[in-house]
Amino acid sequence: MNIDLIPALDAAGMPGPPWLFHFLLVFTFFLHLIFMNLTLGGTLMAFVANLRGGGRLTDPNTVLAKRLMGVNTYAISLAITTGVAPLLFVQVLYQQYFYSGTILLGWIWFNMLVLLMIGYYAAYLHKRFRGPWLGISAVTFFGIAMTHVAVHLIHVQPAKWAQFDVSALSVLGDPTYWPRLLHFVLAAVTFAALVAGWWAVRRARAGDDVELNTSIARSAWRWALWATVLLMVDGFILLGVLPKPVLLGIMRGGLLILGPLTISILLGIGLLMMMARVSNPVEKPGLVSGTLAALTLTIAVMSVTRHQVRVLYLEPATSQFQATVVPQWGNFILFAVLLVIGLATVFWMVRRVLTSPAEGDEAA
Amino acid sequence: MDYPIWDVTMGGGVLMAWVAITHVIVSHFAIGGGLIIVVTETLAVKRSDPELRELARRSSLVLILVSTVFGAISGVGIWVVAGLISPGAIAALIHNYVWGWAIEWVFFVLEIVAALVYYTTWDKISKGAHLMVGWLYFIGAYFSLVVINGIITFMLTPGGWLESHAFWVGFFNPTYWPSLVLRTGICILMAVAFMIWPAFRAGADRRSDLVRYLGWWFLGGVVLSYAGYRWWEAALPDTVKALFLGETPTLAGLAATRSFTLWSLTLGLVVTVLALLLAPKLARGVTAILLMIGAFGFFGGYERLREGTRKPFLIHSHLFSNGLLVSQIDEINAKGIAAHSGWVAAGDASPEALGRRIFAAQCSSCHTLDGYQSIREVLPTIGDMALVAADDPPGSGAIHYRNQCSACHGEIEYEEMAEMLPTLDEIRSDPEFIRELNLGMITMTMIQLKEMGTELAAFDRETTFDMRRLDRPYMPPFVGTDEEAEALAVYLASLDNVPDGSEASGGER
Repeated sequence: MNIDLIPALDAAGMPGPPWLFHFLLVFTFFLHLIFMNLTLGGTLMAFVANLRGGGRLTDPNTVLAKRLMGVNTYAISLAITTGVAPLLFVQVLYQQYFYSGTILLGWIWFNMLVLLMIGYYAAYLHKRFRGPWLGISAVTFFGIAMTHVAVHLIHVQPAKWAQFDVSALSVLGDPTYWPRLLHFVLAAVTFAALVAGWWAVRRARAGDDVELNTSIARSAWRWALWATVLLMVDGFILLGVLPKPVLLGIMRGGLLILGPLTISILLGIGLLMMMARVSNPVEKPGLVSGTLAALTLTIAVMSVTRHQVRVLYLEPATSQFQATVVPQWGNFILFAVLLVIGLATVFWMVRRVLTSPAEGDEAA
Repeated sequence: MDYPIWDVTMGGGVLMAWVAITHVIVSHFAIGGGLIIVVTETLAVKRSDPELRELARRSSLVLILVSTVFGAISGVGIWVVAGLISPGAIAALIHNYVWGWAIEWVFFVLEIVAALVYYTTWDKISKGAHLMVGWLYFIGAYFSLVVINGIITFMLTPGGWLESHAFWVGFFNPTYWPSLVLRTGICILMAVAFMIWPAFRAGADRRSDLVRYLGWWFLGGVVLSYAGYRWWEAALPDTVKALFLGETPTLAGLAATRSFTLWSLTLGLVVTVLALLLAPKLARGVTAILLMIGAFGFFGGYERLREGTRKPFLIHSHLFSNGLLVSQIDEINAKGIAAHSGWVAAGDASPEALGRRIFAAQCSSCHTLDGYQSIREVLPTIGDMALVAADDPPGSGAIHYRNQCSACHGEIEYEEMAEMLPTLDEIRSDPEFIRELNLGMITMTMIQLKEMGTELAAFDRETTFDMRRLDRPYMPPFVGTDEEAEALAVYLASLDNVPDGSEASGGER
């Protein structure tokens, strides 16, 4: 492979062994996906549900949309917050490729920030005012998804950089672009639908507005089922259109690569079976919780597979560079300790908040 | 310099300034606001003071909308823009301080989660639990400053890191503590400049109390800011101080910025004492605006000073803002920039085309063609020469010479230059000759910039450089072979594309 256009590795070296950054990148990306799915899938779903509800406040679709956007008050912030870490670690591992990819996209990449700002504030405005805000929010988040898929495909294909330099938008013609985008969007919708369904089931089981919550749970369940059907079909299409060397790399990758892929396909089939068995999810709360847990596990495993596909894409380039490692173990340990303390504090804080309701005058 | 180039008409530096200014204002407000709001709520609960609690509640809405949305997105924006305009430089910074940023991220997570919980649980949870969330928010926010302050100050004063390359030596660098004190003060100033507005909405009987209460906070912020600022100045290496301090500062513009910075703080102090502390009943919207001008002016001035004194480095004495390492100068001079960057090597091999790519790689992180720091503006043109030679009306030639030429020809008086120049008729009749002359001048400048690199490469790399020893202390050197320097000169000379050297072209400039 001609590596002329690939910038040099940073002279300072890597402040830890590569495996550590691979792990941190995948782990934090998985955390990001959880909230990103709620943001993207939830907003798209809320937009459609809101249209179907026709603005009638008692319509289950309208209530579903309202709940999804209520969750998004937190989810959007947390999607950004958790997105910072993978953005940091990808720069350590793949600075040469990632920065080049973003530069080749230029303004499109920068405008992702503008879209994010518009989408975020539109989500807030939707809660307070009538108007097109929800649609604006949905369109902007979809635009951000398109941007991320574009930058990903550009950065993993340095052999095509000269072509992307002439027209970055030619990435839209990449055979994997649309299946990949659809894969993320459908996964996001599935996750948001299952979370909304799970919540409605809990409330219905607690005797809270049973009819309404049952209706919402059924609706969300159908969303999840059909999105998963499409997701599975799209997943196989995506696999089929991967560049031949990447596909061969997967097939010859042994247990390390085939294992996660096989597990995620099996989990996907299992999810379909679980969803297809249920017509009224309120009657099967255990299965609903199990389905949500299985989907979360699938997302975790697919995060690994996605990363392995990136590694295979880049292998012809990365194999020609040898990064020096200058580990900063003390600093890593400090980070790890603070991460544990920080997450424990967040957990403790949320627990304390949930167990400290206002009483008397405080509740006024 | 070996990355593809993002061509931004307005200038990457301007874009970065917009994003960074937005972020620092919001992020400092988020920290100071966190402190004052939670202290205010704590006092309100202790004193059973509903009006004071209402001030905290009203302020927290903006805190959440601004800090969790604008602050978070603009913070990511700094990375996005840095990756677009100075990828090599930001990569170097990240490879040295990734664990610092990772630790900051942990505090950032705590800050954002606590902020969301704090705002949405007013009156829904017990007061004690709500206060606990508020204090956790402030701890998360402040410690993110504690961490990021180490990286920001490292860039200007890496100190002993230049010798040891040790993480903590660079982190606790000479300006770390002064800057932390200064920024703590700024956080308070930013917060009060905003919170004064919700305080105006309090009932008439309590309005003055609340305004005076915030006045004490602002006064505390001024004291911290001033002490931190003077300490920061004192902690700077002499070589950096000399750029904007003393009787003959190297960079007069920065010296003026320093005056602006301190006068802005003085304005904030005067407004606080007179309108917030002594006569709070008189405080009105205009008072708040003056307070904001003082606070923002001080903050903006300080940031400008910090960035200006670091020029032309991203990490002082180690890494230039265009991504060139000091340690790379000799090698690139020997092998050429085209051998270093595939993006420079690829494409048309004509000198002008090659020069354009070299300009993109080496110069475009600071210069645009016609916008911010316009390169065309500082190049010699036929129009310049025609205006200087014509001197019509009398005296205009000297003025134009002073404005356009003396930066490079400071040692030559106008009268001497006028004698050396061809006449206006000669210029008009043979513009090609003038173009050749200009090309020669630009080539000479490139050679001087390359020689500056050789001088820099010979500096002791384990100590802070004394940039005063150089002709152009605010610019990175040119790196590359002599042929590449000539190619860049050819490209730059081609930017003067006015065909006939008419007076109008010079006059327009």
